[in-house]
Amino acid sequence: MQDVFIGFTSITWKMLVMYGIGGILIWLAIKKQYEPMLLLPIGFGAILVNLPLSIAWEHEGIPGFLRILYEAGIANELFPILIFIAVGAMIDFGPLFRNPLMIFFGAAAQFGIFATMIVATLLGFDLKTAASIGIIGAADGPTAIYVANKFARDYLAPISVAAYSYMSLVPIIQPPVIRLLTTKQERSIHMPLHEKQSPQWLKILFPILVTMTSGIVAPISVPLVGSLMFGNLIRESGVVERLSQVAQNELAYLVTLLLGISIGGSMSAEKFLNFDTLLILAMGLVAFIFDTAGGVLFAKLVNMFLPKEKKINPMIGACGISAFPMSARVIQKMANDEERGNIILMQAIGANVSGQLGSIIAGGLVLALVPLIVG
Amino acid sequence: MAFIDNLRNAGTAMQAIAVSIGGLLGVFTTLAFFFLMILAADRFSKHK
Repeated sequence: MQDVFIGFTSITWKMLVMYGIGGILIWLAIKKQYEPMLLLPIGFGAILVNLPLSIAWEHEGIPGFLRILYEAGIANELFPILIFIAVGAMIDFGPLFRNPLMIFFGAAAQFGIFATMIVATLLGFDLKTAASIGIIGAADGPTAIYVANKFARDYLAPISVAAYSYMSLVPIIQPPVIRLLTTKQERSIHMPLHEKQSPQWLKILFPILVTMTSGIVAPISVPLVGSLMFGNLIRESGVVERLSQVAQNELAYLVTLLLGISIGGSMSAEKFLNFDTLLILAMGLVAFIFDTAGGVLFAKLVNMFLPKEKKINPMIGACGISAFPMSARVIQKMANDEERGNIILMQAIGANVSGQLGSIIAGGLVLALVPLIVG
Repeated sequence: MAFIDNLRNAGTAMQAIAVSIGGLLGVFTTLAFFFLMILAADRFSKHK
């Protein structure tokens, strides 16, 4: 008789909290439209895995579908890699080629990764976990998942949730930080638009050379950089348009769905509900703030050496985070709000795609440097 | 190598600072290389 009611009797308060968290993620996805493609499956996965007996994860030693998906796509890093192919196919490096100086903002805005890593060690996390937490500041979900999976698998769920949640909150996080660090006059700076077209051969050669360079500088970054650049090569080659479309659409949507529900499936109450999760969520926010500040302050530093007519609107620096193209849109909107008709979108996109490059290179370097020290 | 050996025995925060310096330098250097690559390509296409 007890077996009939086992579903009721095995519910714990932690499970109830997880239903609440899953519900909040679903609400954010539907009501607020914050990264709905990810937060919706993550939220539902979180509910699924915390139902009594957790049948969707494992039952009587037999893996359930969530565990099978997790093992097939997260544990071996396949899903993040496939997502990178899709993202690569979506990226047009043209705006960067027209404004190559923007590439440095893709480096400066990685400051949040490293600043947060230091803060995390001061809070007592070991170096590998601290590095995984810092990578939330890459503002790049697949990189965060990839690094966390290698260094801190136990914290994969909170790190992924933080990475994707804060990416969706870029329009809320970045503007106040930018306003705090810039004057109205700086935010109103106009930037000349370069109309020149990039040669096709450069667009084709770029992903190949970037992959080779990254492979030499940090060989461990090859899966990240290589998959992103492979997607970009598919796009720019111009001879496999259907593959490019499939990568940008079907592949992206399908893998995002599987990635989301697998991440949600890893959010069991025992692993997720602890003080460390709260710390990780807080530090993720810190990472995004430091990223934004790093980019903006670097732009202001560069401006000190530029003649008046070539000054950079420092808001562009904030686009160096990898949240593409959301950050560029936010900055363009801010520029327009400050002074109607001020168009800096192309430069912002140039910095934003650089952020995509910078984040995976930073991820690769973290993967290379941390084991050098702690093995 | 001696530097890395010293770091292995250092505190976690010091190790994080070292990784941060190395990481930021690495990102800037790599992207600077790409910057030069784009500039060179631009010059080359103008010559053509």
